[in-house]
Amino acid sequence: MISSLAIIAFAALIHASFQLSVSVFTLFSGHAIGAKTAQAKVVRLTTGFLLGALVMTMLAISFTSFLFQNLFAQTTPQVIWAASCGLLFGLGIAVWAFYYRKGNGTSLWLPREIARHLTNRAKSTRHSTEAFSLGLSSVLGEILFIIAPIIIASLALIRLEPAWQLLGIALYTFISLLSLLVVYALVGSGHKLSRIQQWREKNKRFLQFTAGGGLLILGFYVYVDQVLAATALAHGGF
Amino acid sequence: MADLIKRSGKRETEQFQSDKLHASIVAACLSVRSPEGEAESIAHSVCGQVAAWLDQKPEVTSEDVRRKASEALAVLHPEAAYLYKHHQLVL
Repeated sequence: MISSLAIIAFAALIHASFQLSVSVFTLFSGHAIGAKTAQAKVVRLTTGFLLGALVMTMLAISFTSFLFQNLFAQTTPQVIWAASCGLLFGLGIAVWAFYYRKGNGTSLWLPREIARHLTNRAKSTRHSTEAFSLGLSSVLGEILFIIAPIIIASLALIRLEPAWQLLGIALYTFISLLSLLVVYALVGSGHKLSRIQQWREKNKRFLQFTAGGGLLILGFYVYVDQVLAATALAHGGF
Repeated sequence: MADLIKRSGKRETEQFQSDKLHASIVAACLSVRSPEGEAESIAHSVCGQVAAWLDQKPEVTSEDVRRKASEALAVLHPEAAYLYKHHQLVL
């Protein structure tokens, strides 16, 4: 059980290092503050965004866990663990190679049309419900990268007892939203967006390195723990 | 007043509108928590500098205006200038 929870927590930490939601949040709160919106409304809007991201993350992890629970009722086949590790390795290298675009700013790998669309949506969001759906879509927009930690966390989650599964989902959701929560707290407490954005720009290569490295480390650990060790045990080793 | 060629020439060319630039400078200043009066005064000064620069030019791109406005804003309010300049590069 501890091993499963550790995998879930580590996968969520990797999820937290992806930056699309934080970028959209930064842009969106900048527009909200710049449009002479009252502070109480800014808090309502940013809370709506945060809740949207929270709900979509929870739905994503719950959906994949439900799917795997039904597909692999007894035990997860080793080929699934091995394929998931392959996905982690592949995405780890992809993150290192092209998560951030070259040049100034914190431009992400996103196709420019989608980035422009999200920018325009962030600019025109005026209601909490719109902010909520922007939060939902910012998590969906990153699905290409977050799918790997979500899959691994789900595979670990279905090995737990039902009550622990709920705790696992809550743990994953909370940890994966930590970066967004930090920016939310900073914006809410009156910090300047320029400082937040400058910090993000200054440290973007470090964040990219840790996200990619985290995926590779998790892939290696899971491969040894679930594939190699299980194979060795099956053949009478150890 | 100069004609403004919009981003990458994909949108129609339009006349430079000082009030649009003013609004975007005010928004940039407010988003770094500047008081409203200061934001208005900075925007007024930046618009004046950009208008003077545009005076002898028949046609400019919106990127040129943004760059010139950033330069003027950087002197008056570096943090707002940073956000204004990098606005398109957040995502």
